[in-house]
Amino acid sequence: MKYDFLDTNILARLGAIPLESRFPMVGNVAGRHRSPHRGSSVEFAEYRKYVPGDDTRRLDWKAYARSDRYYIKEFEADTNLRAYFVVDSSGSMDFSSAEHPSKIEFARRIAASLSYLIVNQGDSAGLSCCNEKLHLEIPPSRRAAQLQHIFDSLQKIEPKGETGLVAALHQVAEKIQQRALVVVLSDFFVDANELADALQHLRYRKHDIALFHLMDPQEVNFQFDRPHRFVDLEDGTTVVAEPNLIADEYQSALKEFLENTERKAYDVNADYQLLQTDANLEETLSQFITGRLTQKR
Amino acid sequence: MAIPVIIHLLNRRRFRTVKWAATSFLLKASRESRGKKRLKHILILACRALAVGALVVAVARPLIGGFLGWGGGAVETVVLVLDRSASMELRASDGAPSQREAVLNRIANTLEEMGSPRLVLIDSASGEIQDVPSPDVLPEISSTQATDTQADIPSLLTKAVDYLQETAPGRSEIWLASDLQAPDWREEDSRWQAVRVGMESLPTGTRLRILTTKTGLTQNHSLELLASRRVDNEITLDLKLTRAQDTGSESIPITFTHKGSRTAERITMEGQELRFQKRLPLAAVDTEGYGWVGLPADFNLRDNSAFYAFGGQKPVKTWIVSHDPSGESAAYLRKAAAPTGFERYSCEVISPAQTSEIDWPTATLIIWQAPLPSGAAATNLTRYVESGGAALFFPTHEKSTENVLGISWGGIEDAPSDQFFINGPWTRDDGPWRDGIDGQILPVSQLRAIKRIAIKGEGSSLAVWDDQTPLILRKIQGQGSAIFVGTQPIDTWSNLEFTALHLVTVQRMIELGMNRLHSGYRTVAGSELSQTKLDEARTRLDDYEDDSSGQEHYRSGVYQLGDRLLAVNRAPEESSLEKVSEDRLATLLEGVSYSLFEEQNNEDDLVQEAWRFFLIALLFFLLVEAFLSLQPKPAKVS
Repeated sequence: MKYDFLDTNILARLGAIPLESRFPMVGNVAGRHRSPHRGSSVEFAEYRKYVPGDDTRRLDWKAYARSDRYYIKEFEADTNLRAYFVVDSSGSMDFSSAEHPSKIEFARRIAASLSYLIVNQGDSAGLSCCNEKLHLEIPPSRRAAQLQHIFDSLQKIEPKGETGLVAALHQVAEKIQQRALVVVLSDFFVDANELADALQHLRYRKHDIALFHLMDPQEVNFQFDRPHRFVDLEDGTTVVAEPNLIADEYQSALKEFLENTERKAYDVNADYQLLQTDANLEETLSQFITGRLTQKR
Repeated sequence: MAIPVIIHLLNRRRFRTVKWAATSFLLKASRESRGKKRLKHILILACRALAVGALVVAVARPLIGGFLGWGGGAVETVVLVLDRSASMELRASDGAPSQREAVLNRIANTLEEMGSPRLVLIDSASGEIQDVPSPDVLPEISSTQATDTQADIPSLLTKAVDYLQETAPGRSEIWLASDLQAPDWREEDSRWQAVRVGMESLPTGTRLRILTTKTGLTQNHSLELLASRRVDNEITLDLKLTRAQDTGSESIPITFTHKGSRTAERITMEGQELRFQKRLPLAAVDTEGYGWVGLPADFNLRDNSAFYAFGGQKPVKTWIVSHDPSGESAAYLRKAAAPTGFERYSCEVISPAQTSEIDWPTATLIIWQAPLPSGAAATNLTRYVESGGAALFFPTHEKSTENVLGISWGGIEDAPSDQFFINGPWTRDDGPWRDGIDGQILPVSQLRAIKRIAIKGEGSSLAVWDDQTPLILRKIQGQGSAIFVGTQPIDTWSNLEFTALHLVTVQRMIELGMNRLHSGYRTVAGSELSQTKLDEARTRLDDYEDDSSGQEHYRSGVYQLGDRLLAVNRAPEESSLEKVSEDRLATLLEGVSYSLFEEQNNEDDLVQEAWRFFLIALLFFLLVEAFLSLQPKPAKVS
């Protein structure tokens, strides 16, 4: 395979587990995911009183015989899943330390693997990338050629510029008309309240939100043996500091940021995953997929 | 010291550049840690500067020690004032060096460490100024050996100051080695003012360093001969035994070596001081002789002996000067001064007009019961007392306006009808009304008076009336003393005669007066009398110690000086346990740049080379610097 970010062995092993949406989806074709509409699947949903105009074929005559009342037997409507991957391609995603992959590289691996699994189980996957603004949009599709399209796009991503993730999420929320799974891959170095607004917006549109919060191990551990001049990857701001002197304050600020982001995610019932780029990809994806099975509503 | 500062500043510029994503946290952390960062920088900088400083100082090999303090090594001349009085021979323990030996060794070592500056010695015995060629010889030269003399610290300091003022030998210091024994420091001496002024006039930087040694409380005993006199065919020794610590009842062996034969007896001591009398037999043919009393060896070998010498028997002659030589009072006093059966005792009663008949040099006691004299009689009387004579004054009915030895009589007072004047407290361990040798108390409390006289002037009240006015007052003048009694031994005044207090008073004053007559055989070490006169040769007669130090003229013992037989004893003040307190010292040396160094006996040197200390300090500062520069292990973010 020509894409470095795809590991066929991992994909083969993960292919056995279905990736479910946690909320009912609205798709355009029948599929394996629950729909908010009643349909013709085999799974019984509920009885409701007959009202004029209902399809008489769905009357439950046995219930009428027992109760002398007309009841319509309703079944769940199963549909397909539309997954939108929103990848943050701002400059900060280009950071990597030691032998670890950069955050954008890790995001590529996750997005590509999940796209593959989704399309392979008959659902649709799409991709959006953003830095200062949303600059790439691949609408979801379930065709096999969609994967190549997505993979090519992922490979071409070059992280640069400041992050416009919040605006991009608002745009995504507006553009996606039907319920979908929105997977955001970012370091979320944005204002927490603005991010919360954007997530609320997505949730308001009844999307199932999954957040992959990517951090480099050095960003978390902050271990340096001498004074450094830190140059910001997005706006070039320079900070001269002696890490051993500010380590405690840095850790405190980072902890506050992570807790804040997680809380905002929890507020909108998003599926939040904090990941360091040295994490095992298969474990990460496996936990994500199986975790969704238990959270299904 | 500037090197680490420069390195520090250069280091601060050596940053490694790194691209970073989480810059917002960095900015926040930098803002919050600005104060901490600055403090740490200062600490690191200080550690580096101190490390370099410590290295530089270590290389310079400085001397430190509580005695010199810091930077005490650059002295050109040291004037050493050495107290080599008898009390300096006290040792902290058996086998330990005496205070004098210890301090000399330490000073010698210290001077060597300082590069042997010029050393000028002023010792307390001779008071002479001498150059010591090398610190090595300091403990060996004769001018630093033990003596039985007393020190006169203000006088010695005055000499040291005068020497520095006259010679101006560059940067100098005065080192005073003393045990701070109070009598040696003569706190009331007017020369302290001269010392203070003199020290202040010396160049800046001239310090006075006082070195004393702490010996702690020892079990030392000291023996002192208070008086000796020949009475008929025996010699009476008044002795005083003192111990440094009251350890309860203690039996102390005392050796008497009298006319070559030695006897020993044990004396039981209670309290810190014991006065006792020893009578030793003499033959009628003994015209001259000597002996000594000794204690076993203890922590001070120089205060364990008392030497005495005696001559032929001398008549005991008392002169009573009475306004009424045939009166009742004069008769009582004459009987008290020359009791029946005492052949050598005689008494002559004269009127004030006959005072020219008194043979002052041979008089044992003068009893004056007449208006106080003036003119030649007063002068002779004063001179007699100053030379060690004893005088006893009783009042008369006649008005007396003169004063003798600064004391005069006041008004006569009669007791109210059917009432008596009674006495208040009196001194029971000193004076004519002291307790007997066997501890018996005199019947002073039985004293009743119907007439008394006021005693005016400054003296020691040895007994007072119950209204605290003086009953008997002692005036010490020169080597002698005079007693003024505030009533008469006759019925119209008091029952002094009935209680026999007048007899005790007279006999004890005769005893005191006899000491003067026998004092020609006794003196203290270092006194003018103990020195040889022209054409006199010194021969030590006793074999108490084998003295080959060449310090005989400052040591106690029995000596033949030409025709003179002389028992030389340690100065009595050397038995004093009183020390000059630090507060008192500060008062004596107010305005003087001085330091007091009290050293333990077990320390070897007053100063030590401090390079090890500075190397350890260097290591310490480097470790602290390294620790401060370390990156702390960050807390894990879960």
